[in-house]
Amino acid sequence: MTTPETTPVKKKKEKGPIRWEAIIPFVIICALIGLYFHFFFDTHLRRGMEWAGYKAIGAEVNIANVKTSFFDASLRIQGIEVTDAEKPTHNSIKIGDIRFSMLWDALLRAKAVVNEAAVEQIEFGNKRIRPGKVAPPEPVSNEPGMAEKIKEQALQEAKDQAGENVLGDVIAMLTGTDANVQLQKLQDSLPSKAMLEKFEKDLKAKQSEWDARLKTLPQGKDIEALNARLGKIKTKDFKTPQELQTSLQELDKVFKDGDAMYKQVQSTGDDLKKDLKTLETQYKEIEKQVKTDIKSLEQHFRIPKLDAKSLSMAIFNRYLGPYKAKFFRYKAMAEKYIPPNLMKKKSPSETEVAIQPHPREKGISYEFGRPNSYPLFWIKRTAVSSQAGLTPDAGNIKGEILNITSNQALIGKPTVATLAGDFPSKEIFGFLVRLSLDNTKADSVIDYKFKVDSYAIEGKDLVKTPDVEIAFNKAKGALGVEGQLVALKNVTVAMDNKFTQIDYKVSSKNDIADQILKAVFNGIPVVTLTVDGQGVFPNVPLSINSNLGPELQKGFEKQIQAKIDEARKKIEAYVNEEIGKQKARVEAEINKLKGQFDSEVKKAEAQLNEQKKQAEARINQAKKDAENQGRKQLEKEGQKAVDELKKKFGW
Amino acid sequence: MTALLKQIFNFLKLLNSDTGTNQLAWGLSLGLILGFAPFISIQTLLVFALIFVFRVQLGAAFLSAFFFKFVAFLFDQPAHFLGKAVLENESLRPLFVSMYNMPFVPMTRFNNSIVMGSMIVSVLLLPFAFFGFKFAILKYRATVVARFKGTKFWKAFTATKLYNWYCTYDNLYG
Repeated sequence: MTTPETTPVKKKKEKGPIRWEAIIPFVIICALIGLYFHFFFDTHLRRGMEWAGYKAIGAEVNIANVKTSFFDASLRIQGIEVTDAEKPTHNSIKIGDIRFSMLWDALLRAKAVVNEAAVEQIEFGNKRIRPGKVAPPEPVSNEPGMAEKIKEQALQEAKDQAGENVLGDVIAMLTGTDANVQLQKLQDSLPSKAMLEKFEKDLKAKQSEWDARLKTLPQGKDIEALNARLGKIKTKDFKTPQELQTSLQELDKVFKDGDAMYKQVQSTGDDLKKDLKTLETQYKEIEKQVKTDIKSLEQHFRIPKLDAKSLSMAIFNRYLGPYKAKFFRYKAMAEKYIPPNLMKKKSPSETEVAIQPHPREKGISYEFGRPNSYPLFWIKRTAVSSQAGLTPDAGNIKGEILNITSNQALIGKPTVATLAGDFPSKEIFGFLVRLSLDNTKADSVIDYKFKVDSYAIEGKDLVKTPDVEIAFNKAKGALGVEGQLVALKNVTVAMDNKFTQIDYKVSSKNDIADQILKAVFNGIPVVTLTVDGQGVFPNVPLSINSNLGPELQKGFEKQIQAKIDEARKKIEAYVNEEIGKQKARVEAEINKLKGQFDSEVKKAEAQLNEQKKQAEARINQAKKDAENQGRKQLEKEGQKAVDELKKKFGW
Repeated sequence: MTALLKQIFNFLKLLNSDTGTNQLAWGLSLGLILGFAPFISIQTLLVFALIFVFRVQLGAAFLSAFFFKFVAFLFDQPAHFLGKAVLENESLRPLFVSMYNMPFVPMTRFNNSIVMGSMIVSVLLLPFAFFGFKFAILKYRATVVARFKGTKFWKAFTATKLYNWYCTYDNLYG
């Protein structure tokens, strides 16, 4: 008999504390990550950069190639093209190559430090292979302030256009349109006239109200009656104390009646004074409106201001338009990216978002730097260079950007960028850009300087209206812009523009204007344009001046100053005629009202005052008399008592 | 996702077995550190390395990290004040200056007030959490699991073929 074989139970092997079986999966994962970074990361990074660039700038950004290296900690970006949002067929800038490598020593300390970066082959405004995509304008917001913003913008645009119309107005004045005919049509549209009519109506109503009120005032017969009552009251030789008391009571009653009358007159006088004051204020408002009406009529009939500033503005408004548009575009971009506390933007809690997830606290990150230690981010030097001729639009550029860093205070150096060179293909020579950003002090200071010694201008319209056309057919320009931005708020800007070798294109539909303009422009071989601005960002009012302004002023003054003065006088005369009679009538009415006040109220007041004094004198007299009588009686009674005592004692 | 679910099932299986108490307790405790640390930081990487290299229960660590992330979120404000007080301490400044300029150490983001506050709290709680979790697991097994295994329902269920098939599958692939 055999015993059945018992198979021993397989005891599971006890596993040690280290997970050796995870080595292979770990190696596989590491290999996959390595393969991803080797084959796909650069492409994904390039796509990410293009997307971020499009979102930030609002125009298509293309990058030809991105190459990263983990071991060198380096990055190379080639062929960056940024579409010009205003001209999508062209690039605003094209950079051939950007490359830099970071220090591993700093990376291990969680900091990014680049000893030297290189930016090469810069081109501006070159043609793209295909038009770039431009982000559509943001939809109009329904926020309450939007309507005002649009209104403000429309007003600003109208104002700018009005600037350009100054020359048109001058020409219209030269044509000599008769304003009298049109003035007749405007008879009923003067706001001051309407105001005056209403005022007159109100004044009449007030007058009748006051007539009625003045009638209720105590008249002469009332005062005489009071006087008669006073005269009848006994004020001396009182025989009994009751007699004295009765007199005093009567006197008091008369006094009180008189006082009530006086108070009535006084309060009526006060009310009248108030009403007169209000009427005078209203009348002053009408006078103001008259002046405004004269001004608006001058605008309506396009009576130009022949001052040098307005003429300069009129000529260079269109020329400066694109620059202004660019400035506002970059301003909007800055507002988007500069932190809210610097731009006084609404804090996230104030923004009108209905539902918003609670953002996780970020805490405060401290920097424990020490001299010669690395800041979080630092590019010590960026060399910028470009050689003309390699591509059609490339220029000769040489420059450097020093110390781009996250902590200037730690390294004790400001960021300074200097670029100089020229673009022969675009006839731009001697350009210099110098930008300094100093954040080492409490308030950041940005100094900027931009200079171009010479650039070509071809077919540049200055003024183009149905009345007049002024353009530079050809010219050479020189430009210098300098300024400062303190604490990212206070801006100063000074632009100096000079145009030489000018071939003008001047024409006007009016012969006299044509002659004047041609004569003026032929006598100006060099045109200067200076723009100065100072203010708190974003409100920086610009002042535009040019030598063209005074020359044009001189040219036109002889011809049309007399006409302008004549037109002004006509308008003033028309307004005065329209409302002059009414004005005189109203003035007379006000004076009449004042006279009434003086005569009736003051007369009643004076009479009552007199009566009051008389009553007071009589009361005093009665009291005195009563006192004397009382004293005499007491003396008499005292003497009598003394005599009786003497009799009793037998003296 | 499947791997993660598998780890969570393993955690539940191990929790209801008689073994792996230390693995579970370490998993839950290291999950606490993960929950309190910022996701992109060197300490997170270090704890992940510890969890993967040593036989720590992964499901427990992930579940615990998930839970403690919410706790840390609620704890942000006090952590900020604690971290701020420590980082602004003048006597510790030379130490922080050295640490900030050392290799690797700044990658812990210790210079952030919330990270510092959370780190202090999680490191202080780690030993207490380990022993606390160990005690809780043992107690759970002694009371809940033992009582459940004594029920008629469980005994009947273990007698079914379905359970036997599951046991066989578990022995082969579990």
